[in-house]
Amino acid sequence: MASIDLRSVSKLYPNGSYGVRDVDLRIENGEFVIFLGPSGCGKSTTLRMIAGLESISAGDLFIGDRNMNRVPPRDRNVAVVFQSYALYPHMSVRANMGFGLKMRGATGEEIARKTEETAALLGLGQLLDRKPAALSGGQRQRVALGRAIVREPDVFLLDEPLSNLDAQLRAEMRLELVKLHRRLGRTTIHVTHDQVEAMTMGDRICIMREGRLIQAGRPLDIYADPVNLFVARFLASPAMNLLPVRLSQEAGSLVIDGGEGLRFTVPARHVAAYAPHAGTQVIFGLRPEDIYEAPQGARTQPFALRVTAVEALGAEIILSGTAGGGTARPLEITARLSRHARVQAGETVTLHADLLPAHLFDPVSETAIARPSLRGAA
Amino acid sequence: MSADADKPPIARRVALHAGLIAMCLAIVLPLLWVLRVSFVAPEQSYSTTLLPGFSTQNYQALLSGRFGRSYLNSIVVSLGSVLIALPFAAMTGYAFARFSTGGRFARFLMLATQMLPPVALVLPSFTLLKGLALTNSLTGLVLVYAALNLPFLTWILMGFFKAIPVDLEWAALTDGATAWGAFWRIVLPVSLPGLAAAGVLGFILSWNEFLFALVLSGPSTQTIPVALAALQTSNGVQIGNVAAGVVLAILPLVVASRFIQRFLVEGLTYGSVK
Ligand SMILES: Nc1ncnc2c1ncn2[C@@H]1O[C@H](COP(=O)(O)OP(=O)(O)OP(=O)(O)O)[C@@H](O)[C@H]1O
Ligand SMILES: [Mg+2]
Repeated sequence: MASIDLRSVSKLYPNGSYGVRDVDLRIENGEFVIFLGPSGCGKSTTLRMIAGLESISAGDLFIGDRNMNRVPPRDRNVAVVFQSYALYPHMSVRANMGFGLKMRGATGEEIARKTEETAALLGLGQLLDRKPAALSGGQRQRVALGRAIVREPDVFLLDEPLSNLDAQLRAEMRLELVKLHRRLGRTTIHVTHDQVEAMTMGDRICIMREGRLIQAGRPLDIYADPVNLFVARFLASPAMNLLPVRLSQEAGSLVIDGGEGLRFTVPARHVAAYAPHAGTQVIFGLRPEDIYEAPQGARTQPFALRVTAVEALGAEIILSGTAGGGTARPLEITARLSRHARVQAGETVTLHADLLPAHLFDPVSETAIARPSLRGAA
Repeated sequence: MSADADKPPIARRVALHAGLIAMCLAIVLPLLWVLRVSFVAPEQSYSTTLLPGFSTQNYQALLSGRFGRSYLNSIVVSLGSVLIALPFAAMTGYAFARFSTGGRFARFLMLATQMLPPVALVLPSFTLLKGLALTNSLTGLVLVYAALNLPFLTWILMGFFKAIPVDLEWAALTDGATAWGAFWRIVLPVSLPGLAAAGVLGFILSWNEFLFALVLSGPSTQTIPVALAALQTSNGVQIGNVAAGVVLAILPLVVASRFIQRFLVEGLTYGSVK
């Protein structure tokens, strides 16, 4: 059993700054969790505390049922892939990968067998006798991964383990990691900056900012219901459109007014939740992929977009343009259309927005205004 | 445009080279002169001819006396002191680099010992050795040199250990090593070039040391610097012998400096981190 339980864990560095602050998180045995967040938000620090490499300033860490606050790293049976790889420069790839087994008293025969197996899995079979200095960045990263995998520990802590691989290798390794996790079923924390890794690999995503855990949940839940502007902006690219608008009560319906003809009616389903905020400024969050070139039945509502840029990505087209807001400060909107759309920069086109998945945010507290989720209900 | 256009004008280049050559001569000529004198018969040491015949007379005279013995003493003392000081310096340096052991005060103390003029330390060490009946002995000299080397080597090694990414030790710790295991199996091997360089520097320091050797050694435990100084007799300076002695004294340093260069150029952790 290797669940990981962080109970208001903080890390206060000697220079007086917090690396991590009051993080509460329970990771179940065998769960695959993604840590996502901007640079410097405390992802690596959290991993280091779980691994026992950095002391915990406040709070408690449990792995399984055992309080680990004062347990040395070697007694935690945790394997870490370091962001910097941290390969032993004086040892061959074989010795690097075998070191952990050797330290734990495995026999020579066992070390050789497991090392060969893992090397084959990672495509490192030919490189076993090289020193790290004679490897490419991607190869080093795979050795670092191999050094963790070969030990089959209770917990994997992977700090951006795929960051230095080319697109194809990264896709392959992503699959390998997921398969490996399915096969071994070990609790895994995977730090990444990559949207695709975040959305596809894990059971849960934990989004961090400035040392705090902002939101934790299943990838599609977070995508559908971000708790605040930060998460809305951070997850998915292109990011959610966040438009300052006015919410007003007009003739029995609730209207989102962006000025200059950018007007939407709040869907009946959300009226009850949003009505108390009528008459105030709010931030209207609309995902680029909820904008269509043609009406989608009664769900969508039309608006005019003055197109300023068109990026044809092959599978889809990203439109940037302005709408509403008056000529002084028009609102910037990004839309994601199918590749069949025929649009050129400079045109004004009528697009159709699906308001059902959209969100409203409080501009001061930056938190999402609560409304019934579409997920679970749907 | 030809490639010459990038180069400074010819006059400037000539001036630059002339200046550099002059400076090199200022450094090298005295050495060359010593080399020449050492291989010339003593009565011709000051002759105006550039090479008035080749002779190993000076070396024979020198080595027939006590100089050979002094040479051996110097080697024993320099090597011995480094071999004793290095392990302690490595452990202290590592503790200083990675942990808060001793705090600021210990680090300051270590530097402070280096600021004292050697004369201030000579007499206390003499008294200490006398109490231990170790004056005029190589053992005493080795111990004192080890003590003199310790702060210096600790400081150098602390720098080397600080330069090793802490991730390497963390990797070893999560791989199941103890703190000592991480030091012994990872940090030490990785910093071997640094240890070697520090060792060579310590060797040179002991090799050249004069004051302590003069006070603490006797006739049979003289080291080279003392032996060379002794050639300055009441009958005047035996310049031929001194020159031969200097050449012999410099030899190990020439070899050592080659080593140092190689160790320092070799990166310590190349390939281990991105
Ligand atoms: N030894 C230290 N002393 C003081 N502050 C530190 C120390 N190590 C990290 N920090 C600070 O703690 C914060 C979190 O750092 P951390 O390395 O965990 O970020 P991260 O989320 O892993 O970022 P990245 O994505 O860039 O790797 C940063 O603001 C960093 O400056
Ligand atoms: Mg990090």
